[in-house]
Amino acid sequence: MKRFTLCCVLLSIALRSVPASAAAERSLADSSEANAASTKPPPNIVLILADDLGFSDIAPYGSEISTPSLSALAAAGVSFTNYHTAANCAPARAMLLTGVDAHLAGVPNIPEMLAPEQQRYPHYRGVLGHNVVTVATLLEGAGYHTYMAGKWHLGSTPELLPSRRGFERTVALADSGADNWEQRPYIPLYDNANWYADGEPYQLPEDFYSSRFLVDKTIEFIDSQGEDQRPFFAYLPFQAVHIPVQAPQAFIDPYMGKYDEGWDAIRDARRRRAEALGVIPPDVAMVGMPTTGNWQALDADQQRYEAKRMAVYAGMVEAMDHHIGRLIAYLKNQDLFDNTIFIFTSDNGAEASGPADPDDFITSRQMSALGYNNDYETLGLKGSYNTISPSFASAAVSPLAYYKFYAGEGGMRVPLIVAGSALPRQGVLSDAFSFVTDITPTVLAFAGVKPPDGRYGGRPVESIIGRDLSPVLSGSAEGVYSPEDAVGYELAGNSALFQGDYKIVVNRKPLGDGIWRLFNIKKDPGETRDLAQEEPARLQQMLSAYERYQRENKVLDMPAGYGHIKQLLINTLHQQWRTPLLVGLVTLLILLPFLVAYRMRRKP
Amino acid sequence: MRLTIVNPMLKVVVLLCGVLFLVTGLRWLLAPAGVAPEFGLTLGSGVGLSSQIGDMSAFFLTLGVCILMGLTSQRTVWYYPPIILLSLTAVGRVLAWLLHDAALAVNLIAPEVIVALVLLIASRRLATQG
Repeated sequence: MKRFTLCCVLLSIALRSVPASAAAERSLADSSEANAASTKPPPNIVLILADDLGFSDIAPYGSEISTPSLSALAAAGVSFTNYHTAANCAPARAMLLTGVDAHLAGVPNIPEMLAPEQQRYPHYRGVLGHNVVTVATLLEGAGYHTYMAGKWHLGSTPELLPSRRGFERTVALADSGADNWEQRPYIPLYDNANWYADGEPYQLPEDFYSSRFLVDKTIEFIDSQGEDQRPFFAYLPFQAVHIPVQAPQAFIDPYMGKYDEGWDAIRDARRRRAEALGVIPPDVAMVGMPTTGNWQALDADQQRYEAKRMAVYAGMVEAMDHHIGRLIAYLKNQDLFDNTIFIFTSDNGAEASGPADPDDFITSRQMSALGYNNDYETLGLKGSYNTISPSFASAAVSPLAYYKFYAGEGGMRVPLIVAGSALPRQGVLSDAFSFVTDITPTVLAFAGVKPPDGRYGGRPVESIIGRDLSPVLSGSAEGVYSPEDAVGYELAGNSALFQGDYKIVVNRKPLGDGIWRLFNIKKDPGETRDLAQEEPARLQQMLSAYERYQRENKVLDMPAGYGHIKQLLINTLHQQWRTPLLVGLVTLLILLPFLVAYRMRRKP
Repeated sequence: MRLTIVNPMLKVVVLLCGVLFLVTGLRWLLAPAGVAPEFGLTLGSGVGLSSQIGDMSAFFLTLGVCILMGLTSQRTVWYYPPIILLSLTAVGRVLAWLLHDAALAVNLIAPEVIVALVLLIASRRLATQG
């Protein structure tokens, strides 16, 4: 009996030692790989972020717009076709730069759209909290030079500017947007366009055009390194193609006449090209958005005007691409290109807030109040305020449904290209699900930097929830999320949860109906076939996962009657008219008793 | 012809306003849980609940009684309390938004201002005595 017991114990130890030995072997292999990798200099990393660029707005994703630089990058790496970001600006940037959910990072929405009852909570202020660490801070700590040129929009007080969030050299726009030709605000919420350089207020040069200027500054920062051998991380968040949509005439001209067929024709043509490129599966169905107008109902002048609005948009995209090309050419000239990784993406889907009728009364008043015009001849040039209407925005996100601000695929699915000569796979498309929080861990993996594990710099910080995409880039895995992994998202009540090939989504008014729907977004990225009735068990299971997401990320319920445009108007009124309103009302209250006494004396 | 139907129409509108305020006041007294959410309120307990029911019902009953008194007595003076109450409520709401980060309750402010204006017109057109 004793002998039998002894045999069992020995067998048990032997069995346990098998995986232990395997783990030790793996660890040794990892360590030798790490040693081999450590002999290579860490790569430079260029993170390029377009603003409000739709899913099919660049050539590698099916666009008619000429983007040769981005096509070249796509040919030199992996293009993700199932990548999702937030549905609007600042939350996307917070997640992009930290790898943490926007609610925990303090940016559940842009501050301009937060209701006062939400702003009472510290994590609902719309500025990047100090409980998160940016990728720039982590890379700077690892010896990288860190540069930023472009739109920040994560806080405008000194301690929140990028110069205090890990970026060594910066020129940053603190606001949600601004003019592309000069230093002026684009909405009445702002008195000025608030630009900062290295933390100090900054005056833009006279010959400013946003995309050219931001690339010039990026080149200037990199150039200032001289012979310094340390790698750099350059964050280049363009203003393009956020409103006002503006472009140099030379970039607009090639697109004159290209949009004369109207938005439906462009939406359909882009879908067909995306299919041919393999960006979407064959025969993808599309919904017709209720905000899409009837092109045939427009008269010839209206069609001509709408076509030019979109031509300016296309020119703005191509101008951005042209300047990205200048940066690439510079890096090649400096022999830096081969050791540089490029990441290109957009903060959210295309914006559809331009008026359907640019001559309507409200739009005309807004134009004149801001000192802009929207005349046909000068559309997109200095002093002109151009937008695309929801109709052409539906072409920009083709073949997807909804736009910016909404949790539909058109608001959340955007291009993501990861490229570089050193990458093992070139010119590859991947339909692996990926999320904006994956960018920071992927960048850290490139740099060989360990993500913070709950603490950084002697203080507690939120842990990164994103996944390193390296296995997809190397081809060692099809994806980094298992079919059971759930990724939640919320913006002002527009919510989604991704799990495997499926997504549940609810969109609120004015475009949505507040009903949860279930889609298989791998087969049906256009979100045309609601599976909620066919698969009620899956819907319930995903709704439970969403409730868990809400709890874990402290998502607040929306105030009654909330609407994002209404809140923006109220916040603008508060910002611009608070003092005069206050003085007027208090004066009225003080004078009221005197007025009553006066009237009583007059009429005894 | 048009002028002759203005006053009867105005009387109907004023009557409806008076009845609506009376009903709201009674709802605050009898079924406060149903009416509180319409004003963005959560019912408290103890002294808080007492204040909510007492103050809110008094506010709306005063509005309703004064308006109906104005309509029946045709005296201008009965219109003044509801006009002042509604105007000050609207001003208070805007000040709450400006000073205390309350929501700008446009859906409540707009009716308050409109009804105050209607009552001001009624005090001029319907009343025959001061």
